[in-house]
Amino acid sequence: MNTSYPLVIESGLFTLLLAVFLLGLVRRRADDLLAGWVTLVGLAGLTLAAWSAEPGRVALEGSFVLDELSLFGKRLFLLSGLLSVLATLAMTHPSFRRRGTEYYVVFLASLLGMLVLASARDLIVLFVAFELMSIPLYFLTGFLKGEDAAPEGAMKFFLIGSISSAVILYGLSFVYGAAGTTNMAAIPPAVAVGDPLMLLGLGLMLGGLGFKIAAVPFHMWVPDTYEAANTPFVAWISIAPKAAGFVAILRLYVEGVGEAAVLWVPLIATLAAVSIVAGNLMAIPQKNIKRLLAYSGVAHIGYLLLGLAAMSVSGVGMVLFYLVAYLFGNMGAFFVVQAVNGAEQSDDVEAYRGLARRSPMLALSLLLFLLSLGGIPFMAGFWAKLFVFWAAIEQGMYLLAFLGAVLTVVALYYYLVVARRMYIEDPAVPTPIPVPAPLMVAIGGCLAGIIVMGVYPEPWVQAFLRVALTLFSTN
Amino acid sequence: MDSPLDPLVLAVVLAPVSAFMLLALVAPLRRSGRPAAVVSILGAATAFVSAVLVWRGLDAPLQRVWTWLPDANGALASVGFLADEQSSVMLLLVTLVSLLVQIYSLGYLSDEPAPGIGRYYAYQSLFAFSMLGLVVAPNLVQLFVCWELVGLCSYLLIGFWYRKPSAARAAVKAFWTTKAGDVGLLIGIVLLWRHTGTFDFAELRQLVDGGLVGIDGLALITFCIYLGAAGKSAQFPLHVWLPDAMEGPTPVSALIHAATMVTAGVYLLVRMAFLFALTPDVLLLVAWVGAGTALMAAMLACAQNDIKRVLAYSTVSQLGYMMTAIGAGFASAGFFHLLTHGVFKALLFLGAGAVIHAVGTNDITRMGGLARRMPQTMVVFLVGTLSLAGLPLFGGFLSKEEVLAAVWDGGMTGPFVFLLVAAFLTAFYMFRVVFLAFFGPETSRESEHGGGHAPHDAPWSMSLPLWALALASMAIGVYFTFHHPETAFEAPGWLAPLATGVASGGVVLAWLTFQRKMISAEALAQATGPLRTAAARGFWVDEAFVAVYRGMLMALARIVGWIDRYIVDGVLNVVSAWTVSGGDGLRGIQTGKVQDYVLALAAGVVAVMWWLRGAM
Repeated sequence: MNTSYPLVIESGLFTLLLAVFLLGLVRRRADDLLAGWVTLVGLAGLTLAAWSAEPGRVALEGSFVLDELSLFGKRLFLLSGLLSVLATLAMTHPSFRRRGTEYYVVFLASLLGMLVLASARDLIVLFVAFELMSIPLYFLTGFLKGEDAAPEGAMKFFLIGSISSAVILYGLSFVYGAAGTTNMAAIPPAVAVGDPLMLLGLGLMLGGLGFKIAAVPFHMWVPDTYEAANTPFVAWISIAPKAAGFVAILRLYVEGVGEAAVLWVPLIATLAAVSIVAGNLMAIPQKNIKRLLAYSGVAHIGYLLLGLAAMSVSGVGMVLFYLVAYLFGNMGAFFVVQAVNGAEQSDDVEAYRGLARRSPMLALSLLLFLLSLGGIPFMAGFWAKLFVFWAAIEQGMYLLAFLGAVLTVVALYYYLVVARRMYIEDPAVPTPIPVPAPLMVAIGGCLAGIIVMGVYPEPWVQAFLRVALTLFSTN
Repeated sequence: MDSPLDPLVLAVVLAPVSAFMLLALVAPLRRSGRPAAVVSILGAATAFVSAVLVWRGLDAPLQRVWTWLPDANGALASVGFLADEQSSVMLLLVTLVSLLVQIYSLGYLSDEPAPGIGRYYAYQSLFAFSMLGLVVAPNLVQLFVCWELVGLCSYLLIGFWYRKPSAARAAVKAFWTTKAGDVGLLIGIVLLWRHTGTFDFAELRQLVDGGLVGIDGLALITFCIYLGAAGKSAQFPLHVWLPDAMEGPTPVSALIHAATMVTAGVYLLVRMAFLFALTPDVLLLVAWVGAGTALMAAMLACAQNDIKRVLAYSTVSQLGYMMTAIGAGFASAGFFHLLTHGVFKALLFLGAGAVIHAVGTNDITRMGGLARRMPQTMVVFLVGTLSLAGLPLFGGFLSKEEVLAAVWDGGMTGPFVFLLVAAFLTAFYMFRVVFLAFFGPETSRESEHGGGHAPHDAPWSMSLPLWALALASMAIGVYFTFHHPETAFEAPGWLAPLATGVASGGVVLAWLTFQRKMISAEALAQATGPLRTAAARGFWVDEAFVAVYRGMLMALARIVGWIDRYIVDGVLNVVSAWTVSGGDGLRGIQTGKVQDYVLALAAGVVAVMWWLRGAM
């Protein structure tokens, strides 16, 4: 497909959004899956379009670019959205089914925000895209109104999210003040000369972005939100908004900055270390698997920041690799959680007792996802961890890499606690767990992802290194 | 770069692994028994046909590599294949024996329950893939990965009857003994990489040819690599696992412990002969250990009554021959012997399997007079025996003579004498088996397999591979008796008559002793005196290992165990207690109050500002 018009994917998504919205107006039924299927098919088409799109075009007077990094982001957002919608189709709550169309419209709006964000080269566009992404997320967190935790989780998420947006906006005003323009191209020269206003602005923005990616100490909203929201949605926000945050960070702090990027290294390294240690330690006592994955997710953000702290081509390339490996591993794990929740109505680790004997394939899938997240060889997560450590070591950050490596042992401990429940303990009920077909496809896709990336990582690494190279070579 | 042979070489390696995947993933197919066998045999047949085509079509070395683990500057590790003269003919041997053994196993394991057969064939396919991957490996990384896979398959197949304690024990012993060598190999590979910066055979060769490889420290590297080869190829004193490995099903012994896996060590040294040539000291060691192994194992073979153990020691002995030739600096002679030996030793094992299958015992003293009952088996076994003894017109004649010529030409008189004596003993112990088992009076016995019936020749699935291998041995023997290949070394004119004479002497002595009873076996045993006692106990190598194990390793283990229990565990317990309580403590931060969350966020922003204060 020849995308001569750079905004074609965004336009397509907007059209899809309108179509689903109109569909919801026309058809009012208690139990309707049509909106979901339309969303799914539309997203699949857009994913294919994003895959065949070529980088190298600019629109809106340079505010919107379609380059390697933005294409990477778009593909990742669309792919994770696609998987999440697949899993959403398996949601059976009556209160969800009744208002399903609403869910998809808002979901697509958030996705649209991400797509624009990936291409934003202007501070205003960036901020608007951020808000377009975030506000639907608050709404979707509280979507299951009937559940006790949902309104509370949504409220907390909204309050903290608003404050972090305010901090970003505050920082943005300093950046504008220092640069005199909202075009991001003005940032690198100002950073290079060490303009204090610019640094103040970027520092504040980093705090706000830290909230979006949930790095310690900006992570507090994560466990409460994950516990409150429905699982297919959690699977999605565990990766997509965080990837969006990373894309923004790469745009603001890495792209075109060149040598001056070294300035951010101690800051990012500290955030990485704190996130790795605190995330992994706090995951240990968790009894609820969604909270466990939430904290382990915080630790993974730490590992991603570790790769970023290297501030090198290979470091950034490996961050992108890590994001994709994390996408498959984490979303897959959440999908299994969703399947178990469907049968057990519980997210407690207790509920996984004897899963291997009840549903061996489901247990094996979760085991593989957890092993990938834990970084066991020949799973995608192994290379991801190895590569970010490698990138850090190349830059002489031995201590940080060592810290990360030690904490992976802790991570393996709490992942394997779940595995022990599944494989060693006896089940309370012997019946197998039913897995709806769409959910099965989603789990299968994630499995294929971690295995293919794990067995043959080479082409992926090459592609991501190419993306990373563009960030350092422009200018 | 693209060549029409590329897909064929890939087919050789990928056909067995596809069969394995199918059997491993599709459980109903695996449990179905015979259909699983058919899948595996089809995989092996495809591999064999492709190997033949590759061997026929290859005119120049063919190398393809794909990056596996990328690195900023080139590839950290790659996978691919290197098809040249050596590897293509080795492919032919491995796929041929593999195919025939799989067909043979159909008959041999017909009494197994169906799931067992499926498991057996899954292992067989995995083994074939690993071995073929090893043979075509273009670099040491792939070679090492396949090397370990081969070891794993050997473990699985030796312990195939895992309910039998001796089989389980033998599997573990084989695994650990070869593993000891593998550690050396791994160290050698890593050191070599540090030394030269490459894992690739072709690049290594270029470096060596260009004189770019420093000699300093190279001897240690080649020694470490030799350790790995010695473990796999059962060189003294790491040979102890091979006789015990006979606890596995006999076709497994034919495939793994005669023709393929045990030759991996020899193959590795053949592959790296150009590097070993730089370190003559190590080569000298290889030659002396090889010759010593050949002689010692030949003596041991004379003292065994278990037909498979005779063959196992004979394999150790022949591997010693190959190693000696490599040590003498003429790897091609060792490789040639590897190929011919692979064919006739597989034949001997399969023949022995047919006998065991028919009479239900491994003990040659309880056989006797089988020639009348199993004429076909007798003929093929005799072909194998004559080949092994190295008589003209039979498979091993020229290759054994070449090994002797190479060793003589290498100026190694001592090893040459060792090998000559071993050749005499080889003929003796093999004909001892033939006369005891096939000729002489019929012993009364109860057949376990035949359910009381008298022993008889094997069914077609077993006899077909036997005849195929017998014909191959004959063809090799006849062809090479009249067509001497060009060699880099000179065979003295007296060598062929001498070798033939020595071998005939062994045959005659066996005939006189066990057939005509003109020489009392007891008297012969007495005459050799303490040597025989020593041989019966395997020269106490096992006992030495046990003593070392008990005396040193166990003492060391006790010390390490104490340190582990009280110091390491203590530290770990404290650390893990801290970690868990740290997690609990940190959880306290998560109060659930939004005010606290905002406070943390604000504190974070302040911290970021503080960090930047220096820059601003």
